[in-house]
Amino acid sequence: MTVDHTNAPLLRVENLGLRHVSGASSTPILSQVSFDLGRGEILGIIGESGAGKSTIGNAILGLLAPEFQQTSGTVSFGGKAMDRMTAEERAALRGKRIAAVFQDHTASLDPLMSVGAQIEETCLALDTRLSRHQARARSIDLLARVGIAEPERRYGNYPHQFSGGQRQRIVIAIALAGAPDIIIADEPTSALDASVQKQVLDLIRDLVDETGVSVILITHDMGVISEITDRVLVMRKGKVVEADRTSVILDQPAHAYTKKLLAAVPRLRVTTGPPQTDGGSEIAADAPSGEGLRVPMHLVAEGVSKQFAPRGLVWGFGRRGESFGLRDVGIRLPRGTITGIVGESGSGKTTFGRILAGLDTAPSGRIIIDDQAYDVARSGRRSGLLGRVQMIFQDPSVSLNPRMTIEETLEESIRFGASARRQDSQANVASMMDRLGLARNLLARHPHQLSGGQKQRVCIARALLAEPELIVADEPTSALDVSVQAEIVTLLKETIAERAITMVFISHDLAIVQAMCSAVYIFKDGRVEDFGSSDFIFARSDNSYTRTLIEARPQRFTC
Amino acid sequence: MKALILSALKKRRHGPALSAPRVLLATYILLAVAAPLIAPQNPYDPLQIYGWEASSPPGAAGGGGYLYLLGTDGLGRDIVSTILYGLRISLVVSITSSAAAALIGLTAGVSAAYFGKWVDVAIMRLVDLQLSLPTILVALIAIVTLGPGIDRIILALIIAQWATYARIARGVALSEVGKPYMDAARLMRLPTRRIIFRHLLPNSIAPAITLIPIEIGHAVALEATLSFLGLGVPIDKPSLGSAVANGFQYLLTGQYWISLFPGLALFGLIASINLVGEDVRRKLDPRNHAQ
Repeated sequence: MTVDHTNAPLLRVENLGLRHVSGASSTPILSQVSFDLGRGEILGIIGESGAGKSTIGNAILGLLAPEFQQTSGTVSFGGKAMDRMTAEERAALRGKRIAAVFQDHTASLDPLMSVGAQIEETCLALDTRLSRHQARARSIDLLARVGIAEPERRYGNYPHQFSGGQRQRIVIAIALAGAPDIIIADEPTSALDASVQKQVLDLIRDLVDETGVSVILITHDMGVISEITDRVLVMRKGKVVEADRTSVILDQPAHAYTKKLLAAVPRLRVTTGPPQTDGGSEIAADAPSGEGLRVPMHLVAEGVSKQFAPRGLVWGFGRRGESFGLRDVGIRLPRGTITGIVGESGSGKTTFGRILAGLDTAPSGRIIIDDQAYDVARSGRRSGLLGRVQMIFQDPSVSLNPRMTIEETLEESIRFGASARRQDSQANVASMMDRLGLARNLLARHPHQLSGGQKQRVCIARALLAEPELIVADEPTSALDVSVQAEIVTLLKETIAERAITMVFISHDLAIVQAMCSAVYIFKDGRVEDFGSSDFIFARSDNSYTRTLIEARPQRFTC
Repeated sequence: MKALILSALKKRRHGPALSAPRVLLATYILLAVAAPLIAPQNPYDPLQIYGWEASSPPGAAGGGGYLYLLGTDGLGRDIVSTILYGLRISLVVSITSSAAAALIGLTAGVSAAYFGKWVDVAIMRLVDLQLSLPTILVALIAIVTLGPGIDRIILALIIAQWATYARIARGVALSEVGKPYMDAARLMRLPTRRIIFRHLLPNSIAPAITLIPIEIGHAVALEATLSFLGLGVPIDKPSLGSAVANGFQYLLTGQYWISLFPGLALFGLIASINLVGEDVRRKLDPRNHAQ
């Protein structure tokens, strides 16, 4: 099928409405969604979870489950309505004219097939006239085009031999195999580290400029929107609340929801010039040793090393020649402060947090809390470290026992924990619920009846009810929607300050760390790469890796 | 429209509330419970048995005023009464042993997953050893070691069955142990007992629970087999299996009824338990609630 209606937009979605029907219940998913996609354009669709943004992509691709019923509207490609096409015509569009890139690059590739063969297979399926030799040549060409170095040599490699960013590039190469008119990219960079995310976004922008392909970019991240899109569709609860050019959305948002989304994006300050010192926060910055005499240290960890088996448990898991783990990591936490640990995935930050809490052991190293030393080689329960530090975990949906009510969960530490007090557990729980902004009628509910933000509040309440002096928060906001993230960060900061708790805040997001922490440690490949006060790290540190991390952030949200 | 048809088909597949196997199983249970009230004779009471009426054919009238509807066995016991009383023994033995085996197996499997290291090795190697032998062989060894008696046969069946539950529970528990809510429980320094029974066990048992109905059917068959081999319940308290065995030697002389009718009763019992059990398993299986 050829597309030659130069005046018609490449893709037009008009008044699209969808319902999810399951048994007797029927829930509206999309209503009155309309937009055009022009040639060589990147259209961003942004919204929080449940906004229906992925459903739009699936509807265009014709990948909706049978429970989804179209109630109104049309999707037309090249001026022809898709619901008037035969099944064969639609199948011919999919993959060839309209291709898809999904979030999970590991699941998108066959682990038992070399990447070259996977691209070649797609080329052959989409263009039956190609000889095997031509398909191979085209595959190598595609690998080169998405920025894989030495494509002839890497052609025969398997997905596990590539990094996450390279795998997503390969998925993009497969999407390009049929020289499509449209690529629908659903959260293509959400599973990638920040620095890699930027490279993949740059690649998409370059491909659009070179080949004239159009992209629908579905994301929850305003940063991604600000980096490469031309136009934006802001979605909320199945409706388009605002649609305009990206610059207009970013600079003059009209709708209150868009303003709220923009305001929720944490901003990074990289002010140069005179350092903003506010007394006590200037710790450990310029003099890594000897300053312990001035500031009382609450927790000191020294020489923590942990080596994982080089090949991992599963064959091919982890890249060869790279060792994951921790190498001689040390950290000093002044009492009553929040210290950030920043690093990309695999930098060992989570492992280190678990060792601090006594959940994991390490063969060497020691932790000193208030002059009491703990050997991290012994299990936390034996050495007594377990229980001195509480944790707040990343994903609240698996952090609460699904078979216990909120009340049972919260009362547990008071009534059965090592520091069991048994008195007034109900009153304690109730006042904690009030403090964290949780309605008391939630007490009788089970975790699955709560929203993500509510669950994370419950997790914070649980940690605080154990009356710890130290808390490790491991990416406590990454699994939450942007608007909820800000609330949780504020709440955490306030409650920690009220109780004078010392906290370690583990995150990959520099802006949140800057908002939370007085000191920052940057982890890379299991080592402390850079550390110092927050002001020093973000404004004055000349460590090249720290600069790379800061520069990888969207320019729009850095000031 | 398509979705409506699909959902209608799904409903149909679960079957109506009153399916034949369910009615049959309910009847069996009713009969077993009411056996002392409805059985014409108490086969355990020697005073009610007339030895000279041994091996009467079905329909024969007895001296005690009974009508031997299905005949009598080699000792003069009424076959109908033997089946009713035997049913009680078979059901009690199988249900008790399956429940106990599930409890023990689940606790062992979950503990293996939680403690890891040598506890895991010890429990799971024992499980491997047991599962590498045929179940009937394990039950035979157990009963030969333990001696005869209804309590012993329950014990033997527990020994034969716990390993299956342990293996399934361990697999599920291993993935649960790694979840943050388990870490949170450890950070609270909750007592180990509470972590296992309040946190880990309730979240690990779903797949193993779905096994119980099926395993009850196995237990009935296993008990009958042991009794048939003469290693099960005592001869004066016949279960269905030993009732079949009692008549086995008379088959060649044409007295088919002594073995046939208890055998049919056993067949119907196991079939109905398995069919209802499969139904229950499908309903309990969380994967079937996904949509």
